[in-house]
Amino acid sequence: MSTPTGAVDGAAETGGTVERTSNTFLGDVWVNYKRWNLKAVRNPFVLVVSLVQPVIFLVLFTQVFGGVVEGTLRGPAGGLNYETYLAPAIAIQVAIAAAVTSGIGLVNDIENGMFEKVLVSPMNRTAVFLGKTLAEVTRIAAQIGIILVLSVALGAEIATGLPGALGIVAVGVLFSLSFAAFSNTLAVVTRDQESTIIGANLLQFPLLFLSSAFIPLERLPGWIQGFATVNPVTYGVDAARAIVLGRDVITVVDVPGFEGIWHTLVPALAVLLALDLLLGGVAVYLLSRASSSAVR
Amino acid sequence: MTTDETRRNGQGTDHEAAIEAEGIELTYADGTRAVQGVDLRVPRGEFFGFLGPNGAGKTTTIKTLATLLSPTAGTVHVNGFDAVAEPRKVRQSIGYMAQETSVDPELTAEENLRFACEAYGVPRADRAERIAELLDLVDLADVADKRAEEFSGGMKKRLDAATALVHSPPLVFLDEPTTGLDPKARNRLWAYFREMNDAGTTIFLTTQYLEEADQLCDRLSVIVDGRIVATGSPADLKREVGGEILDIDLEDGSDARERAVEVAESSSLFEAEATVEATADGITVTSRRARERGTDLLVALRDAGLDVVGFNVRAPTLDDVFLAITGEHLDAEGEDGTDETDEAAAAPEVGG
Repeated sequence: MSTPTGAVDGAAETGGTVERTSNTFLGDVWVNYKRWNLKAVRNPFVLVVSLVQPVIFLVLFTQVFGGVVEGTLRGPAGGLNYETYLAPAIAIQVAIAAAVTSGIGLVNDIENGMFEKVLVSPMNRTAVFLGKTLAEVTRIAAQIGIILVLSVALGAEIATGLPGALGIVAVGVLFSLSFAAFSNTLAVVTRDQESTIIGANLLQFPLLFLSSAFIPLERLPGWIQGFATVNPVTYGVDAARAIVLGRDVITVVDVPGFEGIWHTLVPALAVLLALDLLLGGVAVYLLSRASSSAVR
Repeated sequence: MTTDETRRNGQGTDHEAAIEAEGIELTYADGTRAVQGVDLRVPRGEFFGFLGPNGAGKTTTIKTLATLLSPTAGTVHVNGFDAVAEPRKVRQSIGYMAQETSVDPELTAEENLRFACEAYGVPRADRAERIAELLDLVDLADVADKRAEEFSGGMKKRLDAATALVHSPPLVFLDEPTTGLDPKARNRLWAYFREMNDAGTTIFLTTQYLEEADQLCDRLSVIVDGRIVATGSPADLKREVGGEILDIDLEDGSDARERAVEVAESSSLFEAEATVEATADGITVTSRRARERGTDLLVALRDAGLDVVGFNVRAPTLDDVFLAITGEHLDAEGEDGTDETDEAAAAPEVGG
């Protein structure tokens, strides 16, 4: 990944002159990807915590509310068990729970000086942040995979099979990017770990409950249905649910020209992508401002 | 050597100067003028010190030289590269140790060094050997597999210093590297820095420790309120103080110190340029004739009814230099400085 460029003339003799290579973009991404994965493995607490809550939701919701909700599912959503209905929602929940911790790592890096250390190195700054994001995406993909396996074990059925499961992981990853961007924005703005956690978690539950995640929107009050139309969780859950069920499920928008599963996937993925670009753009702007200077 | 050859070797166009900066100005967005017209020229191989109180602009200057801040005005060339136009080339050719210890606490010492090796493009084949050398250099070989979060402050500083050296940079920036360390840890780091410099590395050190600047630096600049007010070797600067220092301790009395100052000033014992100052314990006289006329002053003080309880004639310290230049002691500064980063740092009592 690197190309030799020669020795450093006049270098310190603390161990002799060191041959140096020039950094490449992909090389810098890889270096940072490895570092953040290593840190995740070293600190499994974050991994476990962001997985435990969705697992509890999956188990408790299916056991406590399963019988009640399944009654409503015989209506507009068709006859299916609650495990199948809930699995995509929990996949999206785990994506949020994991993504909102993204900024904590950044705050830690700012606090322990690694942020500045990385900035003063010759690594490409975009590659630095891309490496961190990819490491988080890897973690989120693995966690969604665990949730799907657990869901199937509890009785959920994924109509589209293994390719569908991979598709759900992809939707979860696409969805998580905007929340990771939001978390990093909070981190740069507050530079405080507690504020970052509180700010991100504050949104998590209202967004989940004011969406199509747990109960069909048709069964919810009108104001919630209205809010769900602008709630990104609705689009993430509907996209994942369309893949799980193998059919069109979206009710908040109607984009003509697409049939079946694509009638859900096309608008949902478009909304998620737009949100990623918008929030990602804000995060990149703030990060680049923080990493240059606050000089006039 | 041609320009191209020079640049391939990790150096820019000027082989003589590691740092060449003219008219650096840096104004923060809130209007604070942290650095105001700083000129610097640091030859290769020099151990250069940047001395000043908290908030004087030391950290802002070093961050500007290391490309972490962009100057509002002025030009900066580091190892011959333009810091604004060619920041990555500058970064490739320097090592930087920030004021706050910068290591990843979740990684081991070896992993921190490996990350630094990868970040600075040390070839894969050389990494293991280089890491082992540096762990030996900073006496951390025995704890290479321990996470940095388990280290003491001194060990973290040494690891931080090692990560700044992985690519054997010809120039290393050290921003108050020993602030907050105990004397033993500080002495160990000093030894490493001397070793680096002896091996040919140019070192740019900011410090508020007078003793540190005195012990380590070939040459230094004194910065106050964003402006350089003096530059020279520690010996040259001390000579500019104008002689030796006579410290006289007096028995406590309501006006003993004021009367002693009057006696000293009216005695005609010292040359016109000599200065007399009241201190916490008595008076201090700075004079080329301090040693020669010291005993005469003691007699004059006794004749004036003042009780002298102790005295000492000594060479001037850098604190005396600072006092002569600014009219204030270095450790009395820093309350209303302009450098936010400096202000944020721990500010232990100035040694030396």
